[in-house]
Amino acid sequence: MASTTPRAAIIAGLRTPFLRAGSDFAQLDVLELARSVTVELLQRTALDPRQVDHVIYGNVVRPVQYTNLARELVLAAGLPRQTPADTVTLACASAIQAITDATNLIERGYADVVIAGGVEMLSNVPLSLSPPLARALVGASQAKSLSGRLNSLRGLALADLPPVAPGISETSTGLSMGQSAELMAKVNGISRADQDAWALASHRKAAAAWADGRLAEEVAPVYVLNNGGRAVTRDNHVRPDTSLDKLAKLRPAFDRQYGTVTAGNASPLTDGAASLLLMSVDKATSLGFAPQAVVKSYAYAAVDPVGQLLLGPAWAIPKALDRAGLQLGDIDLVEMHEAFAAQVLSTLQKLESQTFAETELGRSSAVGRLDPEKMNLRGGSIALGHPFGATGARCVMTLANEMERQSASLGLVSVCAAGGIGAAVVLERL
Amino acid sequence: MTAVAAAIRAGVTFEEPGGDGIGRLVIDRPDDPVNALNAALIEDLATAIRAARAWAGLRGLIVASAKADQWVAGADLKLVTQADEAGQLEQASRRLQAVCDELAWLPFTTVAAINGAALGGGLELALACDYRVAGDTPKISLGQPEVNLGLVPAGGGTQRLPRLIGLQRGMELILSGRRLSARRARRAGVLDEVVHPTVLDQAARAWVGKGKRPLDRPLSMGLTVAAAVDLAEQTPLGRQLMYRAARQAVLKRTGGRYPAPLRALEAIEAGFEHGLARGLEAEARAFGELGVSETAKNLIWLFLATQRQNRLVSAASAAARVERLGVVGAGFMGAAIAEVGAVAGLGVRVRDVTPEAVAKGLSRIRAMVDAGVRRRRFEPREGQALLQRVSGATDYSGFRTADLVIEAVFEELAVKQNVIAELEGVVAAETVIASNTSALPISAVAANALHPERVVGMHFFSPAERMPLLEIIRPAAAAEWAVAKAIDVGSRMGKTVIVVGDAPGFYTSRVLGVMLNEAAVLLSEGVSIDAIDAAMTAFGFPVGPFVLYDEVGLAVALHAGETVTRAFGDRLPAATIVPRLVEAGHTGRQAGAGFYLWPKSESSVSRQLRRLLPRPKRVANPAIAQLLATQQSAVTPSTTEIQDRLALLFVNEATRCLEEDVVRSPTDGDLGAVLGLGFPPFLGGPFHYADSLGLAALEHRLRALASTHGRRYEPAALLVDRAREGRTFFEE
Repeated sequence: MASTTPRAAIIAGLRTPFLRAGSDFAQLDVLELARSVTVELLQRTALDPRQVDHVIYGNVVRPVQYTNLARELVLAAGLPRQTPADTVTLACASAIQAITDATNLIERGYADVVIAGGVEMLSNVPLSLSPPLARALVGASQAKSLSGRLNSLRGLALADLPPVAPGISETSTGLSMGQSAELMAKVNGISRADQDAWALASHRKAAAAWADGRLAEEVAPVYVLNNGGRAVTRDNHVRPDTSLDKLAKLRPAFDRQYGTVTAGNASPLTDGAASLLLMSVDKATSLGFAPQAVVKSYAYAAVDPVGQLLLGPAWAIPKALDRAGLQLGDIDLVEMHEAFAAQVLSTLQKLESQTFAETELGRSSAVGRLDPEKMNLRGGSIALGHPFGATGARCVMTLANEMERQSASLGLVSVCAAGGIGAAVVLERL
Repeated sequence: MTAVAAAIRAGVTFEEPGGDGIGRLVIDRPDDPVNALNAALIEDLATAIRAARAWAGLRGLIVASAKADQWVAGADLKLVTQADEAGQLEQASRRLQAVCDELAWLPFTTVAAINGAALGGGLELALACDYRVAGDTPKISLGQPEVNLGLVPAGGGTQRLPRLIGLQRGMELILSGRRLSARRARRAGVLDEVVHPTVLDQAARAWVGKGKRPLDRPLSMGLTVAAAVDLAEQTPLGRQLMYRAARQAVLKRTGGRYPAPLRALEAIEAGFEHGLARGLEAEARAFGELGVSETAKNLIWLFLATQRQNRLVSAASAAARVERLGVVGAGFMGAAIAEVGAVAGLGVRVRDVTPEAVAKGLSRIRAMVDAGVRRRRFEPREGQALLQRVSGATDYSGFRTADLVIEAVFEELAVKQNVIAELEGVVAAETVIASNTSALPISAVAANALHPERVVGMHFFSPAERMPLLEIIRPAAAAEWAVAKAIDVGSRMGKTVIVVGDAPGFYTSRVLGVMLNEAAVLLSEGVSIDAIDAAMTAFGFPVGPFVLYDEVGLAVALHAGETVTRAFGDRLPAATIVPRLVEAGHTGRQAGAGFYLWPKSESSVSRQLRRLLPRPKRVANPAIAQLLATQQSAVTPSTTEIQDRLALLFVNEATRCLEEDVVRSPTDGDLGAVLGLGFPPFLGGPFHYADSLGLAALEHRLRALASTHGRRYEPAALLVDRAREGRTFFEE
């Protein structure tokens, strides 16, 4: 039975440059960003678009005009109009959800070729109306008479008029991401110096990967066509010249007095998109594509947001390893999403912890130690940026690329997400 | 058998009413797919209208077509081409007017249910109904395009259309010959309603309920521009101003060489000032007189020849379906080719060397599309969709799946050969590689190709997004399937395609190059730039040769010219002024100076504002006098002399091209010259022009020119042969 189950392979991936929100992508539509990278993926792989069975795309801050962004992507990217598509949302792990959904479709034999990815455009977040104002306007538009219209507008207060930005804090705790990271740093005793050192390493690795061409191979230029046209070819958050000194000078952002989380050791608000091409191994063989890696296992876990919000991967990683029948020590390369250096370091601490293993995971021994030298080899989200919907796809793509480059046989991706959710994926090179 | 059946079946049937008392008049010309109006169909209409009138208790009548997506596309042009005297055509016009009158004066409500093109006589038929409804489909096209064929409306269109939609708008439509989509026709007031095609008949029946209405529409009221225009149209002075403005606009556009719009204007004026009967009379007379004119015959021939050419060409390429196009080079030409490719529905991949060049090229494409949306060539949604079909790269990724690649890189043999070599390493075995060049021999471009059989030439004309001609060059080594794919792409881009031989300069660049070279020779003889350009615009070219030099750019012209003079230098004196100007940096309009000085427009002034200001005039470049030893205006030949020196040389060179099989036929030669080079359409092209001069007279005149100016005027052997045999280029 198991031998006949198709295996889902990563064939190729591509992302846009990741840009700080409000910079060069500010004029672009979220769909255009997703379209640009998806078209480029199709062009570079020379895949006949008619082969694509399904498209799944992750996105968090949902644009008002597209209720199903993935379907719009199908129509805009020149894919056959008969291709079904769905948009998934799982906060920062949205694209991981897209990839594991694609894996499910392929493993069940329901699809042979799937495009999975994600996009985020934080330059243009949709602002919404306050509920009283929205109710009043809908009521007015449905009213039959002028007096009815005026009636429905009565009772509005001045405070109802300003628009409402999408939620960035946990509804169950009222804490923002940054505050949650700050809390984790304090509880786990993660020092400012350690956080800054992690951030510095992230920038250095990213800068090195840009310098030696490893990032250029996975980043497709985006052409911004207004005002005579400009080509955006590079990430704009990576700072090759940053230093511990510079990082140390930044003021804590969430707790001015005792805090350690700064803009320098956290990921920035980012615009970007990433698309992956997944196929069943058999289909890849018949179309002449070489799989980079197959999805060996994956797992999702969630923690109580009232505790340590971003610690989900500490549960998801052992779960995924168990499902793959592997130990952490078997893993050659790791891509761990860096929402905050404090979150990464907390996660590593818990994975190493015997106590954590016994009390929280119910395991007799610690999950294990992760060697930072094997992690985030092309830089992480702190340096590259973090477009919520796209980050998961970026991590999987980079891991697959590095595994291929180093002929590594096993790799692990983990992403923490709002709501206390953690996701982990194990990749294997055939 | 079918021919016999066709002969007995009438083209129009009166369908008796059902319970609602509404009958139908169904047009279905048995021997024509577009219901073109000929004498027989007009009589069938008359008969059917009489039958409807005789039906007791008829409440309304719907005029419809039985053809799918076709209403009445206009008059059968054979009606005109086969007539040889004005009186005959005037009679035909009077008859169509009378039948339209009969329809208009029916005592019950009439509604035209329009499901396709209603042009010319077709629109006039619809205008004779009380109401017009149309299906909301792209097949709908309404207008009075007669002036484009050198004619005027012949069925009362000059009278009914302005009365329906207003004098100002009516004149605009008739004098421009513009066609309207269903929605625009609704906005203009030509249509009363636009509905989903499935409910067309139902909607038409609903309009019957509105009752008859007078021909003149109700006036707009209130403080609007429309109301002000309506008010002005009510006063004789207001109308006089409108006639005058319209006449001036026509003269400015046509240079007075096309009489049809002026005659249409006269008919409109006669009707508005002296009554409908006088207007109809003027219309019929104008139709008769224009219909037998050389201008109308030439314009109709061009129209039919273009149609025929496009049909033949698309039939020939039906098997070679191209879906994906690669374009190498994202400059002006590359971007324009990519745009027309995307408009044609192809997936387009553009390649240039740097990301900046790609961004600029893609941005140009977007600007073209945006302009198309502004001019309502496409809906915004369509514009976006076609932009989404284009992508760019700095490498050849995406070219592997292209069915055809067009290189539009710098016009330099080594550069082009290099691109061909690069492409051969990337593209699939069955991919056609086309070189866009105005003069470089394709055999030379493909000299090092591993597979020269798939290399062809595609000579686009600038600006490629607008110019209607495409010259496809078939080198000796090219395979039939490769040429067919190029033709498929060209015809789907909406171009009229001529296939030419791979001789230096092909066809168009060669005849143009010879003429431009001669203009420079004239200049060096001491004739002034202004005199030469004025003579050639008076001949009917849209611009004079020196403006053309400057627009094309002297470096490009020099390059193309050298290709031609190198090949035919034994009879062509090379004009030295062009290389000297290039050397001095006077390379044309882009550089600010060429043969003329081109005043820079103030970039600080907005485009809208600039339109209101008087345009700074270009003046002849004073450097010319210094570069040439001769005095400007030292010689002042007559306009005819200048025209003969240039135009007859053009005709003679075109004849040589036919003689050498560079062009396949006089038709291809005429289409290429008119659509690609701006040869005056009313002359029908160089071969029609030769025929109209008389080949013997032309030969005689050329010999005279040869004796004074040199061997380049020696008449082509083919011309001499045909003249001797008493034949023409176009024979019945």
